[in-house]
Amino acid sequence: MKITKTVCTVLLAVVCMVAMAQDSFAVQPGFDGKEIRIAQWGPQTGPAAPWGSVARGSAILFNLINEEGGIHGRKIKYFVRDDQYNPAQTKAVAKELVERQGVFAFVGGVSAACGMAVKDYLAQNKVIWCGPSTAIVEYVFPPQKYLFGVYPLYEDEASILTKYLVEKKGFKKIGFFYQNDSYGKNGLAGCKQRLATYGMKLVEEIPVEPAEKDLASQMLKFKNSGAETVIMWVNPTTAVIALKTCATIGYKPQWVSSNTLSDYPLMYKISGGLFEGVITGAFGLTPDSSNPLLVKYREAAKRMAPDERWGTFFLAGILFAEPFVEALKKAGPDLSTEGCLKALNSIRNFQGIGPEVNFSEGVHQGTDSIQIQQCGPGASYILLQDWAFNDLATWKKK
Amino acid sequence: MIGQLVVEGLAIGACYGLLAIAVVIIYKTSEVVNFAQGEMAMFSTFVAYHILLHYHYPFWLAFIITMVFAILLGVAIEFVFLRPAKEPTALGLIVLTLGAEMLLMGLAGWKWGAEQKYFEIPMAYNVTHEPIKGIIISDWAIGVFVVAAVLMTLLYLFFRYTRLGVAMKATQQNKNAAKIMGVRVERMFSLAWGLSSLMGAVAAMFFASRATLDTNFMMEPFLRAFAAAVLGGLMSIPGVLIGGELLGLIENFFGYVWPEWKPIVAFLVIVIVLCVRPSGLFAKHYVKKV
Repeated sequence: MKITKTVCTVLLAVVCMVAMAQDSFAVQPGFDGKEIRIAQWGPQTGPAAPWGSVARGSAILFNLINEEGGIHGRKIKYFVRDDQYNPAQTKAVAKELVERQGVFAFVGGVSAACGMAVKDYLAQNKVIWCGPSTAIVEYVFPPQKYLFGVYPLYEDEASILTKYLVEKKGFKKIGFFYQNDSYGKNGLAGCKQRLATYGMKLVEEIPVEPAEKDLASQMLKFKNSGAETVIMWVNPTTAVIALKTCATIGYKPQWVSSNTLSDYPLMYKISGGLFEGVITGAFGLTPDSSNPLLVKYREAAKRMAPDERWGTFFLAGILFAEPFVEALKKAGPDLSTEGCLKALNSIRNFQGIGPEVNFSEGVHQGTDSIQIQQCGPGASYILLQDWAFNDLATWKKK
Repeated sequence: MIGQLVVEGLAIGACYGLLAIAVVIIYKTSEVVNFAQGEMAMFSTFVAYHILLHYHYPFWLAFIITMVFAILLGVAIEFVFLRPAKEPTALGLIVLTLGAEMLLMGLAGWKWGAEQKYFEIPMAYNVTHEPIKGIIISDWAIGVFVVAAVLMTLLYLFFRYTRLGVAMKATQQNKNAAKIMGVRVERMFSLAWGLSSLMGAVAAMFFASRATLDTNFMMEPFLRAFAAAVLGGLMSIPGVLIGGELLGLIENFFGYVWPEWKPIVAFLVIVIVLCVRPSGLFAKHYVKKV
């Protein structure tokens, strides 16, 4: 009995020591004189693996920074973890990165559900998170001290697209086809808000569950409503089924979509060419743009990741990380979390390969601007409208 | 508009029916609900995609090779997963099929990646005809109707007039008596899995050509097919095809009036049928075999 008690006491002591050791590691600042540790989660396997290229795209920017000597003498050590688009897995990898690797900040991070699963944990551990790869209002309203959004909100995007359709294209009958979740509903709200300013209403609004495979009744309803244009806020597979179904029933509206379908080579391929002519919002320059900064990244990607497809989402990985790199530069050699936050809050008119980004103490949503592009022949990108902001953005008026 | 809804409902219903027949073939012989059915069909469709993309064979040659592969896959899964189980319970068998499902999804993801693929069959969705004004029918829909009718007839003839088919029916009705009569029941189980896998692969090719091909694309159609099987009666092959057609029509009409409730119709149907007529609309009332 005595021996058992002794063994238990020793075991308890060891467990406590290990736990304390991990805690003490967790409070490390995430950098030293030689390196700054930055991380990102993303689905490298599983159903959303195509979006995993965002995390790999960010690596191009960090490798370029390191090639150029780092930031104030410190190289960036970048960690990518596969969370398989599973919030439980995101929690596990975030905990490992914060408590074992001692990361200073996160950039990107695909999926609203995965991000929401770790948002509070990162804030409690005073870890900065810049440029989540999704645009939900819960991230930035009310402003979170450690969280900075770069992705334009779906509500703003839908509002700008609707304005374009009414004012530039002259459409009178507009339908809205949306995924029945916060992504789709945010888009719907933006569209309705814009239409209200013209005294117009949607001729039809139809929700869809992400996994539905038969959309015949929904498409027939749009056809029957006489909608000249249908805005879709859905996932790639649902979009392809909608396009194919409409080809079957002989209905040809002008299709319009959020930026989530702006990877034209992919959409063109999986729709058998039906995506040609679709208008989308865009949060970044076109992948084939001649913008000098984008050309620099494209050349670097060819050299550093020759097997990667230079697509919208790979490029987005760079775009989401750019403002954070700018803040690290502004924070100066005497780096600290508070110093970096101050630098982020002071970012004004920052122009990378995305829209202009502005942060302040009270507003951590960096932009409300998008470009409007159209899928041309052979999945080419046609720029229809350059960066435009949402004059109705409610959050800017609060 | 009503005519078009009928055409679309019957076309997707025939697809559900084909997949539901695959479910029923296994259930009839071994009383196992195969939850790997959708993924077996998905895997076979990926094989067809691979042959078409990398070997550039004509579609029909790729189709024949894929059907042979599908039969072998079904037989292999029965042999590797089900047969080694010693006196398994119904729940144990279901868990085994779930294991097979996950393995197939993992393998397909590893081999072909998670990105959606374009899959095309000769019966194109965008080649359309208008036999009656206002009613458009695509080659895809005609293809589904013809294939469902042909397979249905072949299955009827197989179970009615061939020794193998009769042996399979005997195995389903009384395993021990069939054994005494010289039927090698294990082989009948393997054959049922092979045949079921083939039917599933045909249905999956129609689904993939109307949507996209990816590792998850058969999950939702499988649930619909299962609902069709319950509706028609898990023991009746013609019944499940009619069940599929009914489900397609109900979903489309319901989805036209209340689109937000469309996804739950199939499950509502399962609940109602199980409450009112547990054996389904076209099967004899369930009697437990002793």
